Amino acid sequence: MSELMVFDEVREAIVMSGGEEIQKCMQCGVCAGSCPWGRMEEKSEFNIRAMFHMGRLGYDGYESDDYLFACTTCNQCAVRCPRGIKIPDVVRAMRSVIAETGGIPKNLKAVLGSINSQGNPWSQERGERTAWMKGVEVPEYTPDKEYLLFVCCTSAYDGRSQKVARSVVELLQAAGVSFGIIGVEEQCCGESVRKIGAEEDFTRLAEYNIGLYNKKGVKKIITTSPHCYYTFKNEYPEFGGEFEVYHYTQLLDELMAHGKLKLSKPVGGKVIYHEPCYLGRHSKAFDAPRNLMSSVPELQLVEFEGNKDNSLCCSGGGARIWMETRAGQRFSDVKIKEAAEKEAQVVATACPYCIVMLEDSLKNLNKDDVMTVKDISEILRESL
Amino acid sequence: MAKGIWVFAEQRDEEIKKVTYELLSAGRKAADALGEELCAVLMGRGVGSLAGKLGEYGADKVYVADVDALENYTTDAYTNVLADLAKEHQPTAILLACSVAGRDLAAQVAQRLGTGLMTDCTDIAMEDGQLVFTRPIYAGKAFVKAACPQARPVMATIRPNVLAADAPQAGRAAETVTVSAGAGDIRQVIKEIIKQISTRPELTEADIIVSGGRGMKGPENFAILEELADVLGAAVGASRAAVDAGWLSHSFQVGQTGKTVSPVLYIACGISGAIQHLAGMSSSKCIVAINKDPEANIFKVADYGIVGDLFEIVPLLKEEMKKLLA
Amino acid sequence: MKIVVLMKQVFDTEAKITLDGSGKINKQGVSLVMNPYDEYAVELGLRIKEKLKGEVTVVSLGGDEVQSALRQALAMGADKAVLVDPGTEEIDEFTTATILAKAVGGMEYDIILGGFKAIDDGSVQVCGRVAEILGVPVVNVVTQAEVEEGKAVATCDIDGGSAVIEVSLPAVLTAQKGGIEPRYPSMKGIMQAKKKPMQKIGLAEIGLDAAQVAPKVKALNFFMPAARAAGKTVPGEPAEAARELARLLREEAKVI
Ligand code: SF4
Ligand code: SF4
Ligand code: SF4
Repeated sequence: MSELMVFDEVREAIVMSGGEEIQKCMQCGVCAGSCPWGRMEEKSEFNIRAMFHMGRLGYDGYESDDYLFACTTCNQCAVRCPRGIKIPDVVRAMRSVIAETGGIPKNLKAVLGSINSQGNPWSQERGERTAWMKGVEVPEYTPDKEYLLFVCCTSAYDGRSQKVARSVVELLQAAGVSFGIIGVEEQCCGESVRKIGAEEDFTRLAEYNIGLYNKKGVKKIITTSPHCYYTFKNEYPEFGGEFEVYHYTQLLDELMAHGKLKLSKPVGGKVIYHEPCYLGRHSKAFDAPRNLMSSVPELQLVEFEGNKDNSLCCSGGGARIWMETRAGQRFSDVKIKEAAEKEAQVVATACPYCIVMLEDSLKNLNKDDVMTVKDISEILRESL
Repeated sequence: MAKGIWVFAEQRDEEIKKVTYELLSAGRKAADALGEELCAVLMGRGVGSLAGKLGEYGADKVYVADVDALENYTTDAYTNVLADLAKEHQPTAILLACSVAGRDLAAQVAQRLGTGLMTDCTDIAMEDGQLVFTRPIYAGKAFVKAACPQARPVMATIRPNVLAADAPQAGRAAETVTVSAGAGDIRQVIKEIIKQISTRPELTEADIIVSGGRGMKGPENFAILEELADVLGAAVGASRAAVDAGWLSHSFQVGQTGKTVSPVLYIACGISGAIQHLAGMSSSKCIVAINKDPEANIFKVADYGIVGDLFEIVPLLKEEMKKLLA
Repeated sequence: MKIVVLMKQVFDTEAKITLDGSGKINKQGVSLVMNPYDEYAVELGLRIKEKLKGEVTVVSLGGDEVQSALRQALAMGADKAVLVDPGTEEIDEFTTATILAKAVGGMEYDIILGGFKAIDDGSVQVCGRVAEILGVPVVNVVTQAEVEEGKAVATCDIDGGSAVIEVSLPAVLTAQKGGIEPRYPSMKGIMQAKKKPMQKIGLAEIGLDAAQVAPKVKALNFFMPAARAAGKTVPGEPAEAARELARLLREEAKVI
C-alpha cells in the first residue's frame, strides 16, 4: 500500500467520524491564537491549527495526552473561526478515530470503565447515586411532575458538589416548581464520553437515558450542570430524545421574572462570575446567571476581563478534568489570580466541573483563606 | 502414590523468610488431616544450618539442597532441583510463598510436572478430603475457591502475612535429607544484583499505602509517613494538593489524575478527600483516615477514622505497628 | 528478528464485578481492554523491531471480542495477529499455556513477550508455562531489555531489589511497568491495521483436542468480599486511638 493512500484514508476516517468541517479550514491560525493553551505561563506544544493541518493531510504524530487530548472543547476558537468551523466537533472526530482502537489516555480509560460499570465517571457505587439527598426531601419523578431534575454525576457523588444539588432543590421548592428525580436508575449524560471520542459508549448511554426518560414520561428536564444541559439539548435529538431542557439558572431566571422566586436576604461581598463555557459560549445563556446574581440584595457583581464569548475556560471540559495539567498551564490558576487581583471574595460559577477546577487552584495558590468558590445556586439559596 | 505436603522454604541472605513459617503452620494442619508428613525444601548455599528452625515450626523432614549453583535464585537452577525432587518423591502438594521468586518457580515446576497451580492464595482449607484454596481475583473485587482434583502435586503460592504462623516448638527436630541433585543447565546468567536500599514498593503494586495531603503542611513532614511506611512495608503516596505544593513529585500522586490504586490498606493522613482523590483510591480494601476536620469527605469512605492531629497520631501509630509486627 | 507477543483481553480496572445467575463472574456491562501489562510487552516488542528489524506477531486466546484488543496492537505497529478460540469457557492456566505454546510453536520466533501478569485473574504463570513447554528460558518481571541477535539482557524485579539477567534467544520475557511507556496507536497505524492479517483458528487447526488441554484446576465457587461495614470513628486520646486502630487493623480488618 502506498504511503499516499494511507494519508487519504486518515483524512477520510476523520471525515467519516463527523469531522467533515476540517476540509473547510484555511489554516489562518485564528483558532490557535485564541486558544488558552498558547496563553499560559508555560507554553504547551498543543496547537489546534497545526493539528488540523496534520489531520487534513492525513499525517500522524499528534496522538498523545498533551496534544490530541489537550483541547478542553471550550469553543473559544470556534466563535472566532472565519470559516465558522465547529472546532470541538472536529477534535472529537479525530479523537474517536484513535479511541476506537484503544488509544485512550490511561486516566480516561478508567473513567469510561467506571461509566460503563457504575454509570458515573467517579468510580463510585451506582447504588449511592442519591446519597446527596441527605437532609433534604426530594420528590421522586412521576408523570404528574412537570420537570425531571437531573443531578450531574459530580453533584451526586462529590461531597463538595452535593451541596450544589441540595441548593438547587431548595430553590426549586421555594419557587414552587413541580419536579422530581429518578435516582439510581440514571446514568451519566455522556457529555465527556463523547468528547473523549468513545462514540459507541456515548450512543449506548444516550439510548439508555432516552429510553428511561420516555418510559417515565419525562418531557422537561432541569440540569445542574451546563455539560448535561448541552448534551441533552443538542446531542440527544440525534438519538430521538426530544426534551425541553433548562439549565437551572435559566429556569430560575424565568421564575424570578414571574415573581415566583424571591431573593430578599442580602448577601454582601464582591462576587466575580466565571462563565462556564458550556452555559455561556456554547449555549449563549449569558444573561440568566447575571440577572439572578444582580437581584441578590447588596451583592456586588464584577466581571473577568474576558467574559461571555471571550471568557477563559477553567480547563475542565473535554474530559480534561480527569487528566493532569502541569502547574503553569492551568487555566483555572489564571482565573483565580485575576479574581484575587480584583479583590473578589467569591468566585461564582454554575458548573460542577468549574467548581472542582477552581477550588483546586484556590487551594494550590493558597487563596482559600481570602476567597471562596460558590455555585450560583448556593448564593441564591442564602438570599432566600 | 502421592505422599507428603511440601513447603518451599524461602530464604534470603541465610535467613528464613517469615512467610515460610506461615506456610509450615498451614501445611502442618493439612498434613495432619491427610495423615501425611510435612516436608520443607530448603535450597541455597550454606543454608544447611537453617534446617533446625524448620523442624521447630512443624516440618517432619527437611530436604536440603546446599550447592554453590543455588546461591542466588535463578529460574532454571531452582526449577531443576525442585522438579527433580518432586518427580522422585511424588508429594501430594507443594506450597510456595507468593514472592517474586516463589511465583516464578511455581509456574515452571507446575508445568514441568504437568499439574495445576493456584497463585496468590489467601486461604487454605480441607474440604471433602481435598485441599481447597481461596484466591482474590479482579484485584480483590471477587474471590474464587479452587482445587486441583486430579493432577498431583497440587501447587499453590500463598500471599505472605495472611496466614498465621504458629509458635515454634523449641527442640522439635526434623529429619534432614541431603539432596544431591544437580542444578543442571542454567540459562539465566545473572550479571548484576542491585539491592534496594529502600524496599518501598511501587505505588500501584503496593499492598499498603501511607498517603499524605495538604494537612502535612510541608515536605519535611513526610518523614513521619515514610517511617510508618517502612514499618509496614508500605508505599508512600500523596494527594494532588501535596504534589501541587511541590512537596512530592507527580509519580507519588494518588487519584484520577495520578495513579489509581487499590491496596489492601490505605492510610490517608491530612487528606480532605477531593472527588478525584477518592475516585483513585476508594476501591482500597480497608481505608484509614486521620484528619483534624471531622467534616472532611475522606471520612465518608473510611473504614476507620481518627479525628485528630496527625502529627501526634502517626508517630504513635508507628510505635503500635512496630509492636504488633515484632 | 521474529517477535511474538502473548496478549490477553481483560476487564478494565474500574469494572464492577458481580456474579451472574449461575454464580460465575458476570461479563455484561464491563469495558474490555488490552491487559495493561501486555501493552508494555507490545511496546517492548515494537522497540525491538524498530532496532533490529523484523516482525511482531500478537497471539491471543478467546472469542471474537478479543479482536478489538488485537487490533489495538496492530494499530500500535504489530504486523500480524493470531486468535485461537479454545472453544470452551472451562480453561485454566495450563489450558491457556498449552494452546498458546502450540500456536507459537508452529511459528518462527526469536523472542516471546507477554505481560508478567493479567489484571483479571492475576495468576502470573501463563508465560512461564509457555517457556517451559517450548523448552526456552524465561525471565520474569522485566522492566527493561536490551535485545541483540541471539541474546537479551533484561533488568527485572527480584525480591528486595532488581537484577540484570542475560539469556540467549529464543527466550520468553515478561514485562512489568517501570521502564517504558506504551505508545498510542497512530492515525496511520490504525489505517494500516485494517489491512493487516488477523488469523482466527480453532484447536483442531493447531493439532490439539479438548482432552489435551483439559484444565487441571477447577473453580469450585466464586464469591464477593463482605460488604463494607459502616465506617467507625476510633475515639480516645491520641495514644489510645493509635493503639485501638492498630488493634482493629489486625484483629477486625485483618490487614496487618
Ligand atoms: S480559525 Fe478556522 S479556518 Fe482558521 S485555522 Fe483555525 S480552524 Fe482553520
Ligand atoms: S476549543 Fe478551546 S481548548 Fe480547544 S482548541 Fe479551541 S480554544 Fe483551544
Ligand atoms: S468545566 Fe466549566 S469552564 Fe470548564 S469547560 Fe466545562 S463549562 Fe467550561
